Amino acid sequence: MTGKTSIKIDYSRCGDEVGVDPRSCGKCLRACDPAIFLLHETLGAVEENPFDPQKWRITPLWPDLCFRCMKCVESCPERAVSVRWKPAGGN
Amino acid sequence: MCDLCMKHGAGGKWYLNAEHYSNRIAERYNLRDFLLEQYKNFEQISIRKFRGFNAVGLGYKLRMPIIGRIVKHTAEKLLHSTNPPTNPFRPEGHIGQVVPLEDAVAILETCAAEPIIEKNCMCRYMSRGIKEACCINFGVMSEIVDKLPRFIPEKDKYHLTRRQAVERFTEHNKKGYIGSIWFGPFPYINNLCSCASPECAGIRPRLDYGIKSIYKSEYIVDPDPDKCTGCRACVSVCQFKAIGYDHALKRITLDYKKCFGCGVCRHACKQEALFLKPRDEVHGLGKNY
Ligand code: SF4
Ligand code: SF4
Repeated sequence: MTGKTSIKIDYSRCGDEVGVDPRSCGKCLRACDPAIFLLHETLGAVEENPFDPQKWRITPLWPDLCFRCMKCVESCPERAVSVRWKPAGGN
Repeated sequence: MCDLCMKHGAGGKWYLNAEHYSNRIAERYNLRDFLLEQYKNFEQISIRKFRGFNAVGLGYKLRMPIIGRIVKHTAEKLLHSTNPPTNPFRPEGHIGQVVPLEDAVAILETCAAEPIIEKNCMCRYMSRGIKEACCINFGVMSEIVDKLPRFIPEKDKYHLTRRQAVERFTEHNKKGYIGSIWFGPFPYINNLCSCASPECAGIRPRLDYGIKSIYKSEYIVDPDPDKCTGCRACVSVCQFKAIGYDHALKRITLDYKKCFGCGVCRHACKQEALFLKPRDEVHGLGKNY
């Protein structure tokens, strides 16, 4: 893919505060053919209680490998994922 | 022989050197605490900062000419480190190699330290949210997984005998998963995985970014053109896209540079046209690990 892809997850829609646990949803994780997302516990939560972490989230780890197929956006029931890109050479 | 065998194989393959599996090594490097700390926080390794940056969006940095080379060098130095491990939040001395079924069986039968368990693959969990039991662990590592409920399979058997471990590994291999054996951290071997690309965090750096995070196996496939009927059953099985098809000859073709020698294509071939050969013996590939 030429240009730069920017993938964002809105944690006010996918996260602890609104009662969404990405571990039980995980639809974007499975929709993405190149598997660019990472499911992990937040750094702060581990410091609080490493054995029973509640605060998990998804981070787009490898945006450069994204196909721009938009399957993640379509799969998300919370409308929390957005994918945007700039064409190569654009500024 | 790859670098790892030359340096740590005691005359043979590094992963068939039983010394590396011993509890004694784990104790000497105090790996009980280290591994517990590391696996407690396993999914976070990529988001923790090291030398000023973490792995989020690192792919773009890797594509930049000078910075890319520095990042690659730093990552390889860390993965290939043979110093006593100090920081559980980094993948220090975490280097592995692809192994075909036969060598994996030899590991399980003769080297693996007990207890032997099968845990959920952490790569598939962190990249797909899927819990699939297919990662075989040994010795001290097995005891550590006891403390980490998210890695303990709910349906499948957790504690395995050697025989059961061989059966499970064979099942995964026949399904098309790539066998891989890992130092984690050097010099302790405790993980025999059944991997899938692109989910595998060990294979991705090598395939997508050219970072030597895993070595090709000690073997390579050598197709027998007289036996191949051109049915193409093996083509889609190869996760390294090493098998092509020659329309004129109506036979498969092998890209020798791409083949990692995992041997899983053999299970798909009904004609027994695919064989593994020692990598060293294939002309021009002697050092291509
Ligand atoms: S747009 Fe497609 S390739 Fe890109 S992150 Fe979403 S699902 Fe993955
Ligand atoms: S061609 Fe090589 S890499 Fe591909 S499945 Fe066969 S042995 Fe593995």
